[in-house]
Amino acid sequence: MTQTTAKAKTETKAKAKAKRSVTINPGMICQPIGAMQAVLGVHGAISLVHGSQGCAAYPMRMFNRHFQEPVEIALSSLGEDAAVFGGADNLIKGVHALVARRQPELIAVLTTCLSETIGDDVDGILRKIDLPTTPVPMHTPSYIGSHVTGYDNALKALVTHLAEQTGPNSKINIAVGLLNPGDIRELKGMLAAIRVKAIILTDISETLDAPLILPRPRFPDGGTTLAEIADTANSIGSIALCKHAGGSAVKYLTGKHKVPMITGACPIGVANTDRFLENVSHLSGRPIPDELRKERGRLIDAMIDVHFKIAQKRVAIHADPDVASGMARFVHELGMMPAIIATGTESKEFVADVQAVASQTGHEIDIISGCDLYELHEAVKAVGVDLVMGNSQAAYIGDDEKTAFARIGFPVYDRVGYQRRAIIGYGGGINLVDRITNAILDHADSA
Amino acid sequence: MPLTLLECDIPIPERERHTYIKKSGEDIVPLANVQTTPGDLTERGCTYAGCMGVVGGPVKDVIHLIHGPIGCAYYTWGGGRRQNLSDNPEFHRKYCFSTSMQEPNVIFGGEKKLYNAILEAYERFPAVNGVFVYATCVIGLIGDDINTVCKNAAKEIGVPVIPFSCEGFRGVSQSLGHHIANDGIFDKIVGTKEPDKVTPYDINIIGDYNIQGDLWIIEPLFEAMGLRILCTFTGNASINDLAVAHRAKLNVMHCQRSTPYICELMEEKYELPYMPVSLFGITQTSKALRDVAAFFGLVDKAEEVIEEEVSKILPEIEYYKEQLRGKRVFIYQGAPRAWHWIKLMEELGMEVIGAATAFGHTDDYEKIIERIGDGALVIDNPNSVELREILLGYKPDLFISGLKEKFLAYKLGVPFVNGHSYERGPYAVYSGFVKFAKDIHTTINHPAWKLIEGRA
Repeated sequence: MTQTTAKAKTETKAKAKAKRSVTINPGMICQPIGAMQAVLGVHGAISLVHGSQGCAAYPMRMFNRHFQEPVEIALSSLGEDAAVFGGADNLIKGVHALVARRQPELIAVLTTCLSETIGDDVDGILRKIDLPTTPVPMHTPSYIGSHVTGYDNALKALVTHLAEQTGPNSKINIAVGLLNPGDIRELKGMLAAIRVKAIILTDISETLDAPLILPRPRFPDGGTTLAEIADTANSIGSIALCKHAGGSAVKYLTGKHKVPMITGACPIGVANTDRFLENVSHLSGRPIPDELRKERGRLIDAMIDVHFKIAQKRVAIHADPDVASGMARFVHELGMMPAIIATGTESKEFVADVQAVASQTGHEIDIISGCDLYELHEAVKAVGVDLVMGNSQAAYIGDDEKTAFARIGFPVYDRVGYQRRAIIGYGGGINLVDRITNAILDHADSA
Repeated sequence: MPLTLLECDIPIPERERHTYIKKSGEDIVPLANVQTTPGDLTERGCTYAGCMGVVGGPVKDVIHLIHGPIGCAYYTWGGGRRQNLSDNPEFHRKYCFSTSMQEPNVIFGGEKKLYNAILEAYERFPAVNGVFVYATCVIGLIGDDINTVCKNAAKEIGVPVIPFSCEGFRGVSQSLGHHIANDGIFDKIVGTKEPDKVTPYDINIIGDYNIQGDLWIIEPLFEAMGLRILCTFTGNASINDLAVAHRAKLNVMHCQRSTPYICELMEEKYELPYMPVSLFGITQTSKALRDVAAFFGLVDKAEEVIEEEVSKILPEIEYYKEQLRGKRVFIYQGAPRAWHWIKLMEELGMEVIGAATAFGHTDDYEKIIERIGDGALVIDNPNSVELREILLGYKPDLFISGLKEKFLAYKLGVPFVNGHSYERGPYAVYSGFVKFAKDIHTTINHPAWKLIEGRA
């Protein structure tokens, strides 16, 4: 249909949403867990949460389930006294204890709803700590934004505190966003094919997918080094794969260090990946090699191979903003109908991104930002779809509505291997073609 | 041997008071139930986790509404995470309710939002029999009067709305949350209804959360002895079961860390006695059945049940015992399972070389020390650095702990069984014991361990 249709629908949804005080089956998590994921991609870094016991234990468990990896999170251990008298002593003691026991290369201090409401001046407290490496404060109260903005804030804090102009390096900064180890490996493969050197912000491909080889290193191998983060100020350009989760960091590098930035759609599907590679090629001045043209051809081949199996199927997608909007275009490329494109995080930019897809492709899309899964379920019931895509928490909607269901997003814990397989790039597109088609075939077989 | 300091704890010497190497005849118990050292890489949970995640959450027919910013609700949302099962899976643990407090709510207060949220949730799920409201950290700081809001909302919707002030910062661990949930359920639910009928053989099973269906293999044993189960606290419980729990003749208490509170309150107010039991392994389960049967004068029935059940599993247990003899185990659990399972491991011919709890109190450690052998390590609230040192230093053949420690064990090449939510359970009583033994045997003997590069 037209852009106006999409827009009109969005406004109605926004009104209905504003009326409800209760969130049922949330579509977003809190800021600290997003920030932690960013920090987990930095070599030798540890997050120290300035909060109560659960602020460390709960996110750890989510990471454990999704990545099937051990995760360390430190805690300032705020109790009743701190709630009354402030948490400065806990924070100072905590930083020192963590340095003494683990000798991390970087400590990221994450605030919480608790410490922000108490009103601790975390930046001020940390400035007074005399240590070789100053801890980096990250403001991530849970009553603002979501895990997506938490990641965005964390990445911005990292470059703000560490990036330093020293001299051109001919590298490209790539802010990854809340993606998976498999995505980063796919990304590295594309960059290697173009022979571009890159700084990945931040690189969880080894830290959250570590080999089982003994003895285990003190910190997982891999991850973005502090030197690399410092060097981001000297790069020839920056690209944020997910502008909602990493966009602020590349903007900061442009403003402060004049590093040119290109923001595009998340490289999911053919056109978005084409655009990404053109951007890399443009920034680096290097051509896109045959190897990637062939990979593109394999994706198209896979799409044509399955097109009678999936064409015209109506799809509902709930994922983080950039993944959801990227998927909207890919679903169109697959000959399917993006009926509902939803995200848990409130974002006007997300709405505009999906509206652009709607107007360019002619699809009538129900666009829902700030969408909990209850609302997604209601929308699915209202418009009817053949396939629902979302994280493990959303699987029940497929069951209840007797539609096919394919997993995407975070957390995915009820099937194995998701975190190992890319969704970005041509290779990721092939994985998605397989996953979507098999979900539809499995569903048809079991019906 | 006295209290000891692990090498990794030299920078935080206060950990010495939590770390003890058992020696018979000494009167030493490690320090327990105190605030975690700041900067610790802790594995503990918070007060809210104990209240909502452990005790409140299993109640199957109420809306569990978390009042606070979104994270805490998300982290306790079903998905099989805790695996405490109920017979109402179409609602229970499938739905997660939160007020998702935003910055303006934090500034101007969240009472109105909470009130509206209760009504809206009930309007959408009118089949529920009540609403549990849990306050998270921010709520305690901004001072929302959740008691009054819940009272007013209850009047409006006509079902009980029960507030729990279980802000995460209130206690040092999950433990205070258990207590808050016990008190709230006792004060506002127990005794508010009368059962349709009572019999002289009514019991409550207190402190079992039906992990992977534990209760569904526990209950038939008591029923086979002629007892009737009035209420389970809180695995697979309806709020209406909790309301009539005061009319039982005996409280059979399984988890002795999270539920002594309500047992004592019921004893005091209703003269309802309670009996602590351990329902893991042959010896302890049989003793529990005998003790409970003796209370009701049903000793002969108990012996029949025990004989039948034990004869069913004995051949398999003997097989596993042969296979597992001499294997060394380190157990880290919430609290009581650390001591419940020392005996059970011995029944499998294994040796417990260390035991730890996340939120045990002094009495839990007394029980551990009473049961564990000389030279074993007993450590309170161990963190990931200590766990690494213990696993590498003591080299146990098996580590039994929870999800947060699972992948650390794997990465260090140590066979592991999840004792919190189980692997292929349930693990309780007799049939569960076989499953437990099988899982232990499976991990210890798995061929992939031998393929790890660098594993001695």
